[in-house]
Amino acid sequence: MPEWPKEPKQLGKEHVRYDGPIKVSGRAKFASDMQPGGWLYGMMLRSKWPAARISAIDLQPALRIPGIRAAVFANNPPFIVRYYGQEIAAVAGVSKQACLDGLRAIRVEAEPLPFVVKEEAALSDASPRVFENQPNAGDPRVLQVGDPNTAFQSADKIVEGFFQTSVQLHHCLETHGNTIQLNDDGLTCWASTQGISSVKDGLADNLGVPHDRVRVISEFMGGGFGSKNGAGIEGGLAGRLSKEAGGQAVRLMLTRLEEALAVGNRPSSFQKVRLGAKKDGTLVAYQLEAFGSAGYASGGMTAAGGGGAGFPAPYIYQIPNSRVQQTTVAINAGSARAMRAPGHPQASLGMESIMDEMALALNMDPLELRIKNDPSEIRREQFRIAGERFGWKAKYRAPASSPGPVKTGVGCGGATWGGGGHASEAEVQINPDGTVEVRCGTQDLGTGTMTVIAIVAAEAFGIEPSAITVKIGDTAFPASGGSGGSTTAASVSPAVFDACQNALRDLSVASGLADPRGSNWGPATSRLRINPVVARGRWKEGLSGHGAGGVQMAEVAVDIETGFVRVNRIVCVQDCGLVVNRLASISQINGGIIMGIGFALYEERIMDATTGVILNPNFETYKLPGAADIPDIEIVLQDMPERGVIGIGEPVTIPTAAAIANAISNAIGKRVNHLPIFPAQILGLLGKVPGVPVEERNGETGA
Amino acid sequence: MKSFEYAKARSVDGAIQLSTSESRFLGGGIDLLGEMKEYIVSPKRVIDLKTIPNLDRIDTSTETWKLGANVRIAEIARNDQIRATLPGLAEAAAEVGSPQIRNVATLAGNLAQHSRCWYYRQRDLRCLKRGGSTCYAREGENKYHSLFSGNPCISPVVSNLAVILAALDGRVIVRRGEQKVTFAIPDLYADAWNNPLAHNSLRPADLIVRVEVPTAKNRSTYMQVSEKRDFDWALVSCAAAGQKTGSQWSQIAVFLGAVAPIPYAVDSPLLERSGLTSDSIASIAESLASKATPLTHNGYKLPIAQALVRRCLDRITT
Repeated sequence: MPEWPKEPKQLGKEHVRYDGPIKVSGRAKFASDMQPGGWLYGMMLRSKWPAARISAIDLQPALRIPGIRAAVFANNPPFIVRYYGQEIAAVAGVSKQACLDGLRAIRVEAEPLPFVVKEEAALSDASPRVFENQPNAGDPRVLQVGDPNTAFQSADKIVEGFFQTSVQLHHCLETHGNTIQLNDDGLTCWASTQGISSVKDGLADNLGVPHDRVRVISEFMGGGFGSKNGAGIEGGLAGRLSKEAGGQAVRLMLTRLEEALAVGNRPSSFQKVRLGAKKDGTLVAYQLEAFGSAGYASGGMTAAGGGGAGFPAPYIYQIPNSRVQQTTVAINAGSARAMRAPGHPQASLGMESIMDEMALALNMDPLELRIKNDPSEIRREQFRIAGERFGWKAKYRAPASSPGPVKTGVGCGGATWGGGGHASEAEVQINPDGTVEVRCGTQDLGTGTMTVIAIVAAEAFGIEPSAITVKIGDTAFPASGGSGGSTTAASVSPAVFDACQNALRDLSVASGLADPRGSNWGPATSRLRINPVVARGRWKEGLSGHGAGGVQMAEVAVDIETGFVRVNRIVCVQDCGLVVNRLASISQINGGIIMGIGFALYEERIMDATTGVILNPNFETYKLPGAADIPDIEIVLQDMPERGVIGIGEPVTIPTAAAIANAISNAIGKRVNHLPIFPAQILGLLGKVPGVPVEERNGETGA
Repeated sequence: MKSFEYAKARSVDGAIQLSTSESRFLGGGIDLLGEMKEYIVSPKRVIDLKTIPNLDRIDTSTETWKLGANVRIAEIARNDQIRATLPGLAEAAAEVGSPQIRNVATLAGNLAQHSRCWYYRQRDLRCLKRGGSTCYAREGENKYHSLFSGNPCISPVVSNLAVILAALDGRVIVRRGEQKVTFAIPDLYADAWNNPLAHNSLRPADLIVRVEVPTAKNRSTYMQVSEKRDFDWALVSCAAAGQKTGSQWSQIAVFLGAVAPIPYAVDSPLLERSGLTSDSIASIAESLASKATPLTHNGYKLPIAQALVRRCLDRITT
């Protein structure tokens, strides 16, 4: 089995980004920057009805607008649209304004239909149906382990709670979209994607182009978070518009509004949780009844990438007896897509909240309760390390016990994630001047994949990363699969390392030097003549690992007169196997925590029940953490080189929101139970809002 | 947006001559361009005011300071004289938008900006304020909406500067055709209290020329609570100002923003008396409760308003 070097010179050190200079200087070209000769703007017409039967679409008025070169249907009428923003048609034209005018000129005949956009309403028998032939709620998924009824009877303490998480939008800073040229030679697509290979397959099949005539390029892209695995409906439409326009390239990038409508989200969750424990804190029984919505496709078709609103439960802690019932309910809203650790942040909120309620009922330190019931040895250790770094013992106090109108509180939570490597290839070329090119058909989501490749190759050859040229994001290079599930570094690093080993063997033969690495590099490569060394490699078991834990602790200050929350500090302890680039790993953890802060305090797609539209489709009212909202973030990277490379993009965003919710609850002495936690909720819980009764505290229900 | 004529004004008179009932004046453009892009307004002519010389001056040569319509918000926030003499005005300016917005947005534009109600701004809806028949917010998602309103529209005024200028007894000098009209701040918004279609009392071709601020009130402050720490609209804003001569207090005024279509005056006989105590401050804040009409999702604004009234009065009187 291959092995990583025991005493690495590059791996695990801090490396600045390979692509930093060209990104900050604007030379890096993203899909949204592409301007192939004669290119056209593309834009889409979307439904202004939350549900309607579209009987006719007249594109002719659009084609008469000056500058419009092509117009196509998204579907051939008649068809039914099932959410505000569903695709109806698209145009291509010489300017953005021409396209806007073209879209306004299109005539659509539609018969509005009844709709429902709120999950609780959609569950009612009286609700309008998203799909006329089936109820909005699918059959519940039920999973029972052990004998929960008996176990609850044997419990010394039982606590209950109801928790809710809102629909979170991906809102990638570069919007979804592609620049596509489809002519007699074939198809070229500059995509903003986390999977060039899947975009290639999708476009080839959708547009009927032989695979060998399709090339997809994504050298740089501005974020995906799980929502950019395919070309999307917008990709197919751009291809058809390009063909219709005589083979001119069409750049169809979505607007910020469209990002909020149709390209994915994290499903909502409504969780009724019950937990039973023995006096000593041993958890014995767990029950969950949950529902949530993944949008219109929840109740039926999942072809759009919807899937369900389920999540893992019980989450991370060992509970021998459990009953879990989860229902996914359809509403007239855009479909969910995988979003950074799908299901886990929702699962974490419900589980970690009820754990803190149990700790209170047992009069036990919440950290001790977790360590007692966590089956993962790594995570138990992380809870201890985090507690020490954070100063948990000194900081954890009884709820609402800090003096004055600004209350402080602390909370914690844990995470789990699978990750691991998948099939990937890479190609290495060693030139006679000692320079190296690495080619790999992966893509860099912004996580630093190019830098990872340069580090691994430099390590293998005993040279500096600056001597490596990295070429990725092109289906002309050896295939490497998609970037999802925190698998990219764990797939690409072994493939590149393997290619380097093969190249070293060839270089050794060609140069006659047994070990051409390091100080021999110059002499060895200089013996190469016209033909450089070119070698391939593939991902191998053993160089990557899977399964990451992760623990976070939060400290907050809550102004109980205004409800304003300030997160003061987050401590994160994260295992990640072999650290490849310490700087990028820490940067990625910062990003995950910031996204978790958004989930905890700010982010929520707000649908209007009366009109069926989304009310906050922009950064003015869909709120994201800004620089001023970011606390001190302290990160402890648990280096375990023996486990190989393990991705950490996802676990690091999981426990943040639960830790913050627990910290706020600890500060104010009331259980916050609804994400995001705005001042309105806090003031309501504290009994300060007229007309809002103070709810009975979630928590102990007896024994 | 729809196509339009673009004209540069070289003087206030020139701007007035260029204006029609279907034209709009362009200052920083922060609000106007957004509305045009969403097809909420589609003026036939846009008259750029940035080309008018000296309209961005701050004149502090007399006891009443004159701030030109084009003074940038960033300038108000950082101007040393304003920070020293009218601190509440600088504080309110510093809370507007982001640094980028403050560098471009103007004083007059901030005062004349339109509703930020998310139903009003939704491109496919036609709410009461846009000439439709229904205020969707009343029965809908109203967490950002008014606690006090004299008409069915519950969209609140969101200008930070209006709130502090009201407390400072600022006056807005407006050209209406050949006439000069002077509005006290409450009058500048009075129409919005009764008329759901109105954002303020200005007519389409009215041009704000400058704002005059007396400097007699030597104590002032502004505070707001938002969901985020920075670059966010106020859930509730509050400004207080008063004159302290020796140990004598006079003319204390307190206004709230984002809770009514107008800067909402906190009226109390206790403000008239000299010498506020913590008890009287508390009871002034308390008195808001009986006047407010909270809706499904905005009742939480009341305790925030009360806290801000207490804190603003505490700050100026201690």
